[in-house]
Amino acid sequence: MTKAFSRKAIGKTVLYSLLTVLAVLQLFPLVWVFNYSIQKTGDLFGPEFFSLPVHPQWNNYVRAFVDGKILTYSINSLIIVVSAVAITSVLSFCIAYACTRMSWKFRTAVLAFVSLGMVIPIHVTLLPNFIWFGMFGLIDTHLSLIIPYVAFQLSFSTLVISAQLQSLPLAMEESAFMDGAAYRTILPRIIAPMAAPAIVTAMISSFLSDWNEFIMANTYLASDDRRTLPFSIIRFQGQYASDYAVQFACMVLVALPALLIFFLFSKWIMAGVSAGAVKG
Amino acid sequence: MKRLFNNRPVIAALVLPGILVMVFAMIIPIGFSLYYSLTDWAGIGKYHMVGIQNYVDILTNDSTFWRSLFNVFVLIVVTIFIQNPVAFALAAVLAHVSHRLSRFFRTIYFIPAVLSVVVITALWSNIMNPSFGILNKFLALVAGQPVNISWLGKPATALGSVIWIIIWQGFGWALLFFYTGLMTVPAELEEAAKIDGAGPWMTYTRVILPFMFPIISAVVVIDVISSLKQMEIIFLSTGGGPGDLTQFTAVYLYQKAFVASQYGYGNGLSILFVFVAVGLTLIVQRLFKTEGAVE
Repeated sequence: MTKAFSRKAIGKTVLYSLLTVLAVLQLFPLVWVFNYSIQKTGDLFGPEFFSLPVHPQWNNYVRAFVDGKILTYSINSLIIVVSAVAITSVLSFCIAYACTRMSWKFRTAVLAFVSLGMVIPIHVTLLPNFIWFGMFGLIDTHLSLIIPYVAFQLSFSTLVISAQLQSLPLAMEESAFMDGAAYRTILPRIIAPMAAPAIVTAMISSFLSDWNEFIMANTYLASDDRRTLPFSIIRFQGQYASDYAVQFACMVLVALPALLIFFLFSKWIMAGVSAGAVKG
Repeated sequence: MKRLFNNRPVIAALVLPGILVMVFAMIIPIGFSLYYSLTDWAGIGKYHMVGIQNYVDILTNDSTFWRSLFNVFVLIVVTIFIQNPVAFALAAVLAHVSHRLSRFFRTIYFIPAVLSVVVITALWSNIMNPSFGILNKFLALVAGQPVNISWLGKPATALGSVIWIIIWQGFGWALLFFYTGLMTVPAELEEAAKIDGAGPWMTYTRVILPFMFPIISAVVVIDVISSLKQMEIIFLSTGGGPGDLTQFTAVYLYQKAFVASQYGYGNGLSILFVFVAVGLTLIVQRLFKTEGAVE
C-alpha cells in the first residue's frame, strides 16, 4: 500500500513539475522582453543570464509609442478590424440561420462551400488579389483588408454559430410568425439574442485573427499612414535596428491589446475553441 | 408555415452577401491565378502565354519547391507525433486537478496563441540571437563556457528553430482541443475501467483514447491545415534560408512573385499549393473516416 502510494506521489510530482516547466516556457519569453524593455540596450548585452532593472527606463515606452507610430497604426487596425468583425458576424449569422433553420435544397452544399474557407490557405490569394483588387482601386485602402478578412473568417464564424442555432427549438420562430412578425424583425430581435454566446465567441475569434494578421496587410497596403499595428515592430527593426530596448518596448505595446482582450474574454475564447474542436 | 421556412427571396438575401464576398476575395482570385500561371509575366510589362511550361518546370526542375513541401511535411510530423502527445498528456493531467488550477494553466498555455505572429517572431529572433539571446546565455550557464550559436542562421539548427517557434505558438490550441475532448469523456467510463482493475495507463490507452478518436482525428486534420498555412513566422525570421533549408511553400510562392519578379511562375506554385492543401486535407479526413468505422 505504501509502495503504491509513494509511486503515485512520485508520479504526481513529475506531472506537476512538467506542468510548471511548460508554463514557464510559455511565459518566460514574455517576462524577458518586458524586463529588458525597461532597461538600457547595453544591459541586454551584459554577461549575466537575467538582470532586473535598477533604474527603470520608462522613457523607452514613450519613444516606442511615438516613433513606432503606435497611435496611427492602432487607429487603422481598429477601423479595419471592427468593420471586418461586424460584417463577418452579421453575414455568418445570416448564412448559419438559412442553412440550419430553413429548409431548401442546397443548404448542405452552401455550408460545405463556406467551410472551404478554412482549407484554402490565404497565401494563394495574395498574388492574384494584388492584381484583382487593383482593378477596383482597392489596393492601399482599408477595404483591401476588410474584404478578405471577412471572406476568410466567415467559415469558422458560420460553423460556430450554426452549431448553436441547431440546438434552439424551432418553436421559437413559429410563435413569432403566428403573431405576424417578419424575418427582418425575428432574426435580430429573437434569434440573435438566443445565439449570442456563439456570436460573441465567433466575434472574439475573428477579432484576434484579424488584429494579428500581417501578410495581407504587408501585401496590400503601401502607404505608411494606412498600415496596421504589427508594422510598428517592423518599423523598428528597420530604422532602429540596434536599439533593442525600444524595440522590446514596442513589442510589449503591440502585444498588449490582444492580451487584454484575451484576459477579459478568455472564457468565451476557450468556449469557441471547444465548439471548433467538437465540430471539427 | 412550411412556406415561411423555404421562402426563396429570404434565403437568397441571407446567403448571397456572404457567398459573394467569398467568391470575390477567394474564388475569382484563384481563377486569376490559374490564368497567370499559364504566362511568363514578370509582374509588369508584356507577357506571353506559355501553356503548362511553369508547371513542368516546377514539378521537374525546382528542388526548392520540393524542399518546401518536405518542410511542411516535417512540420506536420513533428506536430502530430511530438506536440500532440505532450499536449494530450498535459490535458490529461489538467483534467484531474481542481477546476481553478486547470483554468489557470490553460490560460497561461494559451497566451502565445493570441499574440501577433510579428510579436512572436521578433520575440524568438531575439531569444535566439547569437550575441545577446537568452537561449545561448542559458546554455552557457549549463555548459560552463560561452555559447555562440546562430540558431536561425546555421543550417543544422535553422529548421528546428523555426519549427520550435511554430509549435510554441500552436501548443495552447492543441492542449485546449484535447482538454475539451477529455471533458466529454463520461466519468462512468473511467470508473468502470478502474473497477475492472485497469491502471491509469491502461485506462487511457484502452478506454479513453478510443473514445476520443473523433476529436483526435479532428485535431490531426487541423494540424495538417495549419502546417500548410504556416508562412509569416518563416517569412519574418529566416526568409526560407539559409539557402532554401527552411523554405515553406507559402513563403516560396510569395518570394517568387514579389521578390524574384516571376509572377507567372509564382501563380503556378499557388495553384499547385491549392491542390496540395485541399487534396491532403481530404485524404487525411478520408483516412480517419474509414479507420474510425473500423473502431
